[in-house]
Amino acid sequence: MTGLVVGLILRAGVVLTGAALATFALLWHAPGDPALAIALARFDTVVPAAVIDQLRAEAGLDGGFWQAFLAWVAPLLVGDFGQSSVTGRDVWPDLVRAMSYTLPLALAGLLVGLIISLPLALVATRRPGGWLDRCAVGVAALGASIPAYWLGLLLIMLFAVRLGWLPATGARTPVHIVLPAVTLGLGVAASFTRILRSGILDARAQPFLPAFRRRGVACRDIARAHVAPHAAIPVVTVFGLELAFLLEGAVMVETIFARPGLGSFLVGAIEARDFPKVQAVVVFSALLFVTFNMIIDLIYRAIDPRIGEHNA
Amino acid sequence: MRSVGGLAALFLLLGIAGPWLAPHDPTQINIAHRLSPPGAEWLLGTDALGRDIVSRLLHGARWSLGLAFVISVAGLCIGTLVGLVAALGGRLADWALMRTTDTFLAFPDLVAAVVIAGVLGAGTGSLIFALTVTGWMRYARVARAVGVSLHSRGYVVQARLAGLWPAAIAFWHYLPSLLSSLMVVWTGMFARAVLGISALGFLGFGVQPPSPEWGTMLLDARIHMRSTPLQMLWPGLAVVGCVLAINLTGDALRDRLAEKDGHR
Repeated sequence: MTGLVVGLILRAGVVLTGAALATFALLWHAPGDPALAIALARFDTVVPAAVIDQLRAEAGLDGGFWQAFLAWVAPLLVGDFGQSSVTGRDVWPDLVRAMSYTLPLALAGLLVGLIISLPLALVATRRPGGWLDRCAVGVAALGASIPAYWLGLLLIMLFAVRLGWLPATGARTPVHIVLPAVTLGLGVAASFTRILRSGILDARAQPFLPAFRRRGVACRDIARAHVAPHAAIPVVTVFGLELAFLLEGAVMVETIFARPGLGSFLVGAIEARDFPKVQAVVVFSALLFVTFNMIIDLIYRAIDPRIGEHNA
Repeated sequence: MRSVGGLAALFLLLGIAGPWLAPHDPTQINIAHRLSPPGAEWLLGTDALGRDIVSRLLHGARWSLGLAFVISVAGLCIGTLVGLVAALGGRLADWALMRTTDTFLAFPDLVAAVVIAGVLGAGTGSLIFALTVTGWMRYARVARAVGVSLHSRGYVVQARLAGLWPAAIAFWHYLPSLLSSLMVVWTGMFARAVLGISALGFLGFGVQPPSPEWGTMLLDARIHMRSTPLQMLWPGLAVVGCVLAINLTGDALRDRLAEKDGHR
């Protein structure tokens, strides 16, 4: 088990190094002179070439690619995400502040998704093929096809503009989270319903269940010891997939609802060509993603002994 | 299955023939008739610059579906190649290529696409690049997994013993067995590309105005949300209908393949 964990961590390390390199290479080869962008952002006028050269040296851009990459990656290893090239302030506190808006939104979205999908999947699987089941499948298919930003706009139009019940943009009060969370949650609910439904149906169709029942094992014991673990595997898979959906969804949803979270942070940084900030968001989300998937991998192995250690 | 196929065929037809069906020039600015309500002359009304919405939607079908086709096929080619080389190229190639795949999977793909398209500068070229670079990994995984499972099949062993070149084995013996699984992945990625194109367009990093693309149209319509809310409905409905048709086709395809495997 220890060997397995070490192996997984090493693999995550390789993947993250690759991710950092890919990100840096993209921004390094991006069109336009980053030093000029810094100069424009700081002084807002045309500046002499000498100043631009100085800015370039300050930002560590005057050396070669590898030198600049190492200068960025080495502090990253101890959690230093560098300074914004536009404002000169540390990126990390800003990133934490953005996350403090995104994390509650992601969790609220997840909650909305669970509240909708769990009862829906349970009711639908009571009679597979019945009208409720078909409705649930249809709703899930429709939900998976609606882009989050359009759904968000429709909800704003209905609940904020027409009815005036809920605030549309910003994040001043806790009520502001309702519309973004519902937007995100409906998308989550669509995929949850789908996978929960097939997971429950699959778990119920296992051939050993009638055998247990005939041997006189109590229904509750069968459900706890045999059906639940079986149905848990797809649920764990979904949580892994949903993290990506929540992060991307949050980026789009925050842009529509003008929430000052990770999405607005990223889009703002791209528009200002503030590359240290862009790099920080990308590497941070890759770190979250890889860590989360590693944990999921471990949970998988804990609940499903069929996935051997050699599959690492 | 038949109704699903019909829906998919309808959207395919729109993608190809859409521009010829359009009653007006989609980029013709007509300030005198700006924000017209739906009527006989303009079936769904006009936008803030007086351009016909129906014509823009019909031309937009070619942008969305055409670009999504290019992106998903490019991803299919890259991913299949990577997966096959990993399956056949020995342990080192397998390790390197699969870790590369994992690396690209380490980013939430829309976030990565936004960054790539945004950093490279808005435009159709960077849009295609961004969505292709973030969209080939699933094909590679499937191609490798199915490829590895074929190694011990009789005809593959025979071909190897006969001294056939690995590339030829890959092309003649692996690719045909992969195609059905890859087609299912492809429908999913095609839908993803349609969503991605409109999402990037909506953020302003995708197809640039005045080209009529559904996401860009939504971005324009959003400003006039209060006065003409109906405008926001049409491009969104077009995206939903299109993605739903593709997803349902994919589901039907998968069910049919599962059925075939079950009978075998």
